[in-house]
Amino acid sequence: MKIISLRDLPQDIAPSRDLWPQIAAQIAPDTANAADATRLPASPRRLVRLRWLAAAAAVGCLAVGMWIDRSLLLAPKVEGGAPTANTHVTPGAPASLDVAYVSDPRYQRQRAALLASLQAQLNALPPTTRIRVLASLDTIGKAKQDLESALGKDPGNALLQELLVNTYQDEMRVLTDVRSASHAGEGI
Amino acid sequence: MTQAQALSGEIDWEAGLVQRARTGDARAFERIYREHSGRVYGLCLRMTRDVHLAEDCVQETFINAWRALARFETRSSLGTWLHRIAVNVCLAKRRKGAPPEPLPEDDEGEMGDWTLETPVEVREIEAAIDALPDGARDALVLHALYGYSHEESAQMLGLAEGTCKAQLHRARRLLRDRLGLEVYAA
Repeated sequence: MKIISLRDLPQDIAPSRDLWPQIAAQIAPDTANAADATRLPASPRRLVRLRWLAAAAAVGCLAVGMWIDRSLLLAPKVEGGAPTANTHVTPGAPASLDVAYVSDPRYQRQRAALLASLQAQLNALPPTTRIRVLASLDTIGKAKQDLESALGKDPGNALLQELLVNTYQDEMRVLTDVRSASHAGEGI
Repeated sequence: MTQAQALSGEIDWEAGLVQRARTGDARAFERIYREHSGRVYGLCLRMTRDVHLAEDCVQETFINAWRALARFETRSSLGTWLHRIAVNVCLAKRRKGAPPEPLPEDDEGEMGDWTLETPVEVREIEAAIDALPDGARDALVLHALYGYSHEESAQMLGLAEGTCKAQLHRARRLLRDRLGLEVYAA
């Protein structure tokens, strides 16, 4: 093939082999450390959460979940038992989601139920918390719109699909966190 | 339009992946790798002229990137950032192997797209680029192939902008001699 401009030379060249496994092996200790941080005892764990909170401030969908977690950990004990730390597990949700899960009727019902009770639960929260939660849900909503719009143009894009599923998962986390917080009774 | 501006449309969804990778999500980082490894490898291969060394550089680039993710500004281009790391890795590996070459003294600005007098076979151009001295080849690859501005190319290579332009002038002259035709830098 002949070309006349140097810009026509290929910029993207595939390596002869997959280099990812060796990269993954090198970064594995780092990912393990990140996972270990979530299993630390209460006090260091709280510090880790606070550091994460600062880092995630720009990402609304992450920020709200962590902020609520932190608040629950810091909340005073209720007579008859310690406050329950939210483990970020969405009831009934598999560990790894795929696109089919988002369109699953059971997921949709669960989401609809949480949204239906959201206003009442928000009313039980302090105003600053309510504003934060609403801002985060708004950010998540915009992200979903953008991703769905992008997927409309490129339906087979696996990256977009994954990001969309993750965004739905983030939304579910926020909704379940709000419900857990309002059910805890002591407020956030 | 600079390389960073050209890639700005990709930043939004990449920012999400970067945020996830920063929290230790290796899957998100693998997506970043899959998306960018070809461009990073292309650059490393042209800078090192060695398949195995280029593969080593790609691996080191992504390992360094993983460890430096917290410092990445999501408003800038991830591709450019990875290229910066890749250039550093390639230059560091080269420094281990050979003394730095003397810099040319002439300085002539080269702007824009590089075109040839007549169409030439890709392999012939690649061979001619391959035969360039390291400094001239580095500047040519970043500026003429990957479209980085003089300023961006110079920053990546750790050179003064004038020196980078001088290397481009040298590259153009050597290419012209090797290919036997005029090389225009319009």
